[in-house]
Order: sequence, then structure tokens, then C-alpha cells
Amino acid sequence: MHVVIIGCGRSGSALASRLDAEGETVGVIDCNGDTRSRLPASFRGTFVTGDALRQSVLKEAGVETADAFVTVSSNDSLNIVAARVARDIFHVPHVVGRLHDVGWQPISSHLGIQMVTTVQMTVDRIHLMLAHRPLDPELIFGNGESLLIRSSVPDYLAGRRVIEFNVEGEIQVVEVSRGGHSIIPGAATTLHEGDMVSFAVASSSLGRLQSFLGGRWDQ
Amino acid sequence: MKIIVAGGGLVGGQVARALIASNNQVMVVESDRETAASLAAAGLEVVTGNASVATSLEAAGALRADVLVACTERDEENLVISIMAKRHLEIPRVIARINDDANRWLFDAFWGVDAAISSAGALVALIEQTSD
Repeated sequence: MHVVIIGCGRSGSALASRLDAEGETVGVIDCNGDTRSRLPASFRGTFVTGDALRQSVLKEAGVETADAFVTVSSNDSLNIVAARVARDIFHVPHVVGRLHDVGWQPISSHLGIQMVTTVQMTVDRIHLMLAHRPLDPELIFGNGESLLIRSSVPDYLAGRRVIEFNVEGEIQVVEVSRGGHSIIPGAATTLHEGDMVSFAVASSSLGRLQSFLGGRWDQ
Repeated sequence: MKIIVAGGGLVGGQVARALIASNNQVMVVESDRETAASLAAAGLEVVTGNASVATSLEAAGALRADVLVACTERDEENLVISIMAKRHLEIPRVIARINDDANRWLFDAFWGVDAAISSAGALVALIEQTSD
């Protein structure tokens, strides 16, 4: 897969590095040539210094043969324009953009361009983490028989093994978020203070999960 | 005519004044508070807000406007304003300023642009012709 990325800031460089490490070919465009230093020395892709709206610059980065096009520059209007140019002029099959400002969302959705709105995402995530309703489901499956619950765990459970939460047919730990990273826990994974844990839980067992998290560790 | 000038910088301010002088009803949309305040102090009608956000244009009376001039100092912004003015707000005539001539290839009907000009003088002349 060939991916063209507009913007070599924190997001663009991280995405470019990851895709490159995964064996994809990557063309990165940034108007500031200094941003090339954000890419690792091992980066095998193309870096083009220039204006992302120039046809010659886009072509040099491989837009004509691109399978995907990502615009993560710091300029929202540039991201919208570049995304639409990639999709409708160069017919890139998969185009994703990033917006900081929610105010741009109506125009991008009007144009049918897939955009990730970072400020909105951050606010939603933080709001959810601040909400003192730990057992509100993140996802509801089927007709509500199974739920995905994300919750912090009491500090005194630090050191216990994550799988001790599992109750066959009722509760299953699926993921642990720690220090901004997410891990799939193994048999030996232990809980740390501040962990956020995702549980798949049968709705009929919500009370049981609540009591685990509320302090009665009745295994 | 009712004309919205999106972007009240050096060029936008001149365009607005010239249009007012030829008896048009002009509303300027400017995101920078200081610039907006000085335009207002000079007697222009100004809406302070980001012209690429539909609500700012609606506040400027976009739904009744005959012409919109996308006149900011950023070409990508002028393109986004133009497509929104034409497609979303259905303003009959959309004129855009090109800051960097290398971007001229983008300024066409694909972005809702009816006419595009790359220098302030030409822009003023064109708008005055159409408003006669």
C-alpha cells in the first residue's frame, strides 16, 4: 500500500514512521523541510518539501498511485482542500483528514470527506473519564445482553492479577489502559494504580461487577 | 447589491470600501478582532468570526446575499469559503482572490468559484463592472 501524508508534525511523523515500519510505502509532504528530522533515520519513504496544493509536489509524493491519503497539517482549511483534491482529482480510494476546529465539520461532512476532529475527540474522552459513572456502558451488543464497560479500579487492588476479575460466562477483562497506552492482559498481567480496565460483561452480572469494583473482592 | 466580503485585511478592506462607494450594501466577515474593530470604527459593517464557518456567513446575511467575495490571505481558506457559499448557502455569484498564482488551477467551478482574480486592483474592477 502506498500512503501520502500531508504534514510532518507530531501526528504525521508518527503515522509515517509506523506505516513505514509495517512495510508500507509512504510519501510525506511538509512545507517546512526541517520537519524531516521528526522521521527516524530508518525511514525509507519519500519526503517532499513543498506546498501540498501544488500538483507537482503531490505527484512527487506519489499521489497518482496512492492507495490512501492522509492530511494532518496544522491548517484545517488546507486539510479540507487537500483531501478533496486527492479524492476527486487524483481519485485516491481512501482519504482521511484531521481537523482541530469543530467549526469546520459541517463543510467537510457536506463534502463527504472523512475527518477526525481532534479537539472533539479529546473533549469526549476526557469528559467520559471524568464522569463518575464508571458502569455506564461504552458499547452495547445485541439487544443489550452484553455490554462493554470501562472503569477505573480501586487502588487497593493494585498487584492483583487482572484475570481474577474473570467469571466464566459473566465477566471478561478485555483490555487495560495504563499511562496512555492500551494492553491486552495476559494470565500474568497485574493491576497497577490508575489503570482503566475494559470489561465485557453480561447485563445480568452488572451488579456483580459493581460489587467487585466497589470493594467486595469475593473470589 | 448585497455583497459579503470574507476577509477584511488590506485587500478585503479596500474591496469593501470600493463597493460601498458604488452604492452596494456590504458586510465584511473578519476573524481577527482588532482588524474587525478598526473596520467597524471606519464605518464598515462587520461580523467578527471565521468566514469559513457557515454560522458566521449566515450572521452576515449570506442567505440574502447576491455576491460573496472570498478575500482572505490564504488560498485554501478562500476555496473552502467559496464552496460553502456556493453549495451550502447558494449565493448566486462567488468571486475568489488568489494569493499565490500557483494555486490558480484550483480556483474553478469545482470549488464553487465563478471568477478568480489574483490582484486587488483587478478584483475591484471586476466587482464594479458586475455591480453596474
